[in-house]
Order: sequence, then structure tokens, then C-alpha cells
Amino acid sequence: MGKAIALIQASWRTQRSYRVSIVLSILSLGVTVLPVYFVSKALQPYAAASIANQGGNYFGFLVIGFIALIFVSTTVSSIPDAVGTGIGTGTLEALLSTRASIPSLLAGMVGYSFLWTAVKAVLFLALAMVLGMHLSIAASLSGIFILVLIVLAHIPFALIAASLVLAFRTTGQIPSIVMIASGLLGGVYWSMSAKIIPPWVHAIANWVPLAPGLRALRQTLLNGASLGSVMPDVMLLVGFIVMLNAIGFLAFVEALRYARRTGTLAQY
Amino acid sequence: MSGIAAPDDAPTAAAMNDASLAASDGATHAVVLEGISKSFPVRRTWGEMLRHPLLTPRAPVLRNINLSVAEGEFFGLLGPNGAGKTTLFKMLATLVLPDAGTATVGGFDVVTESQKVRSVLAPVIADERSLYWRLTAYQNLELFAKLQGMKGAAVQARVKEVLDVVGLSDTAEKIVAAFSSGMKQRLLIARALVAQPRVLLLDEPTRSLDPISARGFRAFLREEISGRQGCTVLLATHSADEVLELCTRVAVLDHGRLLATGTTTSLARDLGEERYALFTRDATHPALAALVQRGVVGALTVRGSEDGWERVEMELTGGMEHASQVVATLVEQGVVIARFERVPLPLADLIDRIVRRGTEGAPNG
Repeated sequence: MGKAIALIQASWRTQRSYRVSIVLSILSLGVTVLPVYFVSKALQPYAAASIANQGGNYFGFLVIGFIALIFVSTTVSSIPDAVGTGIGTGTLEALLSTRASIPSLLAGMVGYSFLWTAVKAVLFLALAMVLGMHLSIAASLSGIFILVLIVLAHIPFALIAASLVLAFRTTGQIPSIVMIASGLLGGVYWSMSAKIIPPWVHAIANWVPLAPGLRALRQTLLNGASLGSVMPDVMLLVGFIVMLNAIGFLAFVEALRYARRTGTLAQY
Repeated sequence: MSGIAAPDDAPTAAAMNDASLAASDGATHAVVLEGISKSFPVRRTWGEMLRHPLLTPRAPVLRNINLSVAEGEFFGLLGPNGAGKTTLFKMLATLVLPDAGTATVGGFDVVTESQKVRSVLAPVIADERSLYWRLTAYQNLELFAKLQGMKGAAVQARVKEVLDVVGLSDTAEKIVAAFSSGMKQRLLIARALVAQPRVLLLDEPTRSLDPISARGFRAFLREEISGRQGCTVLLATHSADEVLELCTRVAVLDHGRLLATGTTTSLARDLGEERYALFTRDATHPALAALVQRGVVGALTVRGSEDGWERVEMELTGGMEHASQVVATLVEQGVVIARFERVPLPLADLIDRIVRRGTEGAPNG
């Protein structure tokens, strides 16, 4: 744990030195929230019926969708990005030469990205609440728990993409594919209720981990539902986590072995 | 003239390898390589891949390397570019897996006990890009001290100590991006030292240092790392100064083959080609030509003159005993000799000779 924290601290110190980037990143949140607010207000009459069981307010619906999506984006891109950069600069070899274990190195390499995403999410949420979004504060712990499950369910995709970077210097477009699928079929912009979308699209959407995750997240944060009442969706997420993480970690370990066999840990 | 004879042929490279292994028996070994081989896939063109999709050609990088380095030894690894030195180092650092053979560091296997190997060994094989350029020197070392498992006040104390050792205390709070190449090189070394390794791998550590810094660094390696800390050091270098000043033994690699191991002096002697300079008034004296004709000495080369004395260089085998017999014979024959001295073989020549001999002795294919 201490090793991962040391790496996160190093990332923070590095990022902190890029002051303009930090300021612009925070300012961009405001720029994003305002269009979402006005567009959602305009679309509220059309969307209200379809999202009635998920808060009923299209602005809140979209904000929760965006927050989940930026966590998915961070998850699927930060690990392959960190591995790719590490290979390119030689830091990966230097890190792998230390006594730190691979899980702690991975956690440390991407930990800062997650913390920064969390900070941005809180600011985004705060701005949205200033603009009138209603959030069930009592259910926020459940919401955080579901958000963590959403992240964990997407880590395998990141690990597979990172494995491809280790072995073949490409992500195989996995982060892009996951982002497109999550955006279109995960329920970020519209309800994925079987009553609204075609059955075959609904069937496909069931295989997108963000879909049950977002359903549960909105139920808790916007409707104040308990964790018990969203248990089917939570269990579906846990299923994804159990099933996919084993594959992801196996792929990463094998890719690392392949890179060690071919001597390409420091050749981009 | 009787009693002067051309000595026997020098031992083969393989025999020298075996001898070097035997010589170090009895000592505690910090590093042992047994039958280590490694090959890498050959990058092919699109055309070649389409023509022969199932072929997976590989290029051998290390071939059946047997080598042992004793605890506390300062060991030099020499050889031309592409000889396999860096691959060998990466293998010891657990960053590259061997295809065949076993390698142990501090008694731990580099494949099955890689975590334990990393607890006793620190490599300096990465280049300066592997540093965190936006962090200060202190922060870089602090990070790696923590990654090596240090905690609390021990981190601060060790980082300060190492910064002092590499002469970066005054610039500890400066970001690495503002460092010169030499300073970055010193920081890389400091990063390896922070974990107090028992075995240190240095791949051309002085390549970015100016001559004065390089000399200071060599003194630091000799006195601090090897002397006080008793660290085993494996040094890959092209610098003759480093080898002659630091290494107790060297190994010569070429195209993945270990051609020879031993001290530079013993290698020069074993190769049977020691060079001597003779200062005489008459370089064309028939006694000199007669020695060459009988094969007692190698070809003579006249290399200028000093105050009217001509400098004649010759290759002689058989060591001092044989050299004294040659001098006695020449004096007896009336050759006026002002000076007769051994010319140290330049490192580059030594490597070149070992490589040439190895190439000639290598099996076809």
C-alpha cells in the first residue's frame, strides 16, 4: 500500500508542476456542466416519461451518466496509457526492477488518475447541484460503492488493453470500443428500459457492464433507493467483476511474461 | 640460442572459460550463470511475413554462457556493441527471461525467485529518460526508496546519504529536467544505491560523465561501493581506464558467446601475444631477423626513434622468462640495447584479439 501511495504522490507532484493544465482542467468542468444543463432543460418534456423511475429529472439523469462515464474512461485508458508511457520512457523497467509487487505498481501508476477523476466528479456534482440538481445525500455511500463496482467491472478491459500494449504496442482500440459501447448502450444519454429501446438492443445492452451499474447508481442517488432494492443490478456487476477480472489479470501476467521473453519491456 | 623455443599454442577460448570457472571455485558466488542462452525474434518485413507466415526466425543473443562472480568481486564485462552485455544484465535484473540455463543472484534463481533477486540486486541499465523529470532529485530517490520498502525516517536518511555520495546534495531540490546529462547519470546510480544492494549492475555508467567526474566516480566505486559496502559489482564498459582501475576480473563477450574470462594481464598472457619494446642503435641487426625467422618472436615493427635509439616492437610469448632469454641472446650476438620493456596491450587490442580468436575457433553455423 505504501508503495502505491509513493507512486501516487510522485504522479501528483508531476501533475502539480503543470499548473496551466490543472487550471484548464477545472475550468472545463464549468464549460461542460452549463451546456448539459441547458440541453437537458430543453429535452426534459420529451425525456421525462422514459426516466420516470430514475429520478425523472433529465439534468440529474445526464449528470450521473456523465460522472459514471468519466470513471469508465479513466479506468479503461489510464492503465494502458501508464504502461505505454512507462515502456516509452523506460520507467516501467525501472519500476519492475524494484521490490514492489505488480499489483502495487499498477495501483500506484494509475491511482492519481482515479483520485483526480474523483475530484473532478465531486466538482461536477457540486456545480450541478448549484444549478438545481437533486441528489440523495443519504444514499451517497451506496452510490460510491456502486461506482467502485463500475470501476472494478471495467478494469479487466483496461488490463487486456494494457496487455496488448505490453505485447504488441497497441491497445487494440479496446478503450475506444468500451467507451462507444458504454456511451451508446450503457444508458448514459437515454434510458435503456426494455419498453423504450428495441428488444435486440436491450439484449446487447445487458452485456455492457455500465448499463446495470448506471441503473443502480441512479436508483440510489436520484431516487434514494437502498442497496438492497438494487441488488439484482449489483449482483450483475459483481458477476462481471468475478468473470472478467480473472481473464484480465491472466492476460496481463502472460503479456508481461511475453515482454520479458522477447526483451521488449523498454522498446516502444 | 638453445633453450629458446616457441611456446605451445595458447589455450582455446572454451578452455579458458572452463578454467575461469574452476579458478573461482571455493569462493561464495554472488552471481552464477550456467548454460544461459537467449534468442530474440527477428523483425521481418511485410513481404517476408506474407511469403513465410509460419516461420519464426530468431537471432541468438546469448549462447551457453557459463560464468561465476564471487561475492565482493568487481567484475568487468567487455565486448563490442551487440555482444549481449545489456541482455545479460537485464536477465540478471529479472527483466528478460532466459531460453535455457539457470542464473542465480545471491543464491536466488532469476526466474523462479525474481522477487528475492530484486531484493539483493540493483541495475543501472536504463537511460536518463527513466527518471521522473518533473520531480526533484530528492523526490526521485524518495520514491524509489519507498518502492524498495523503506519507511519513515530511514527514507530521508538514506536519500540524503546517497545524494551526498554521488555529489548531488547541493542540487537535491532542483528538478531533474534542469540537470545536465552527467548529473542525471549520477542520479541513476544514486537510485540504484538507495536500496543498499548486495549486487550492482552498471551498464556503461560513466558514458555521460566528463573525465574528471568519471575519475571521481571510479574512486567512489572503488572506495565506497566495493570497499566499504563490499558490494559485488558487474560493470559493462568500453573504458580501458575503468577496467584497469577497478576490475579484478573481466569477461569478453562477442555475438552472445563468452570468449574469455580472467584478469586483463592473464588474458593477454594466455593469448600468447605479449608485446615488448626494444630500444637499439641498429634495428636491422641480423640477430633480430634470425629470431623472427626461427619463430621465437613475432613480426618486428620499428616505431620511430628517441635520441637516436630506434624503438622496435615485437610480440613474444612465454612471459618474462622467455623475454629474458631473448635479451640475453641479443646481447650475446652484439645487439646494443638501451631499454627492453613490456608494452601494455591496449584494451581495444585485447578485446579485438579475443574476438578474432573466438571467431576463428567458433563452430560453423
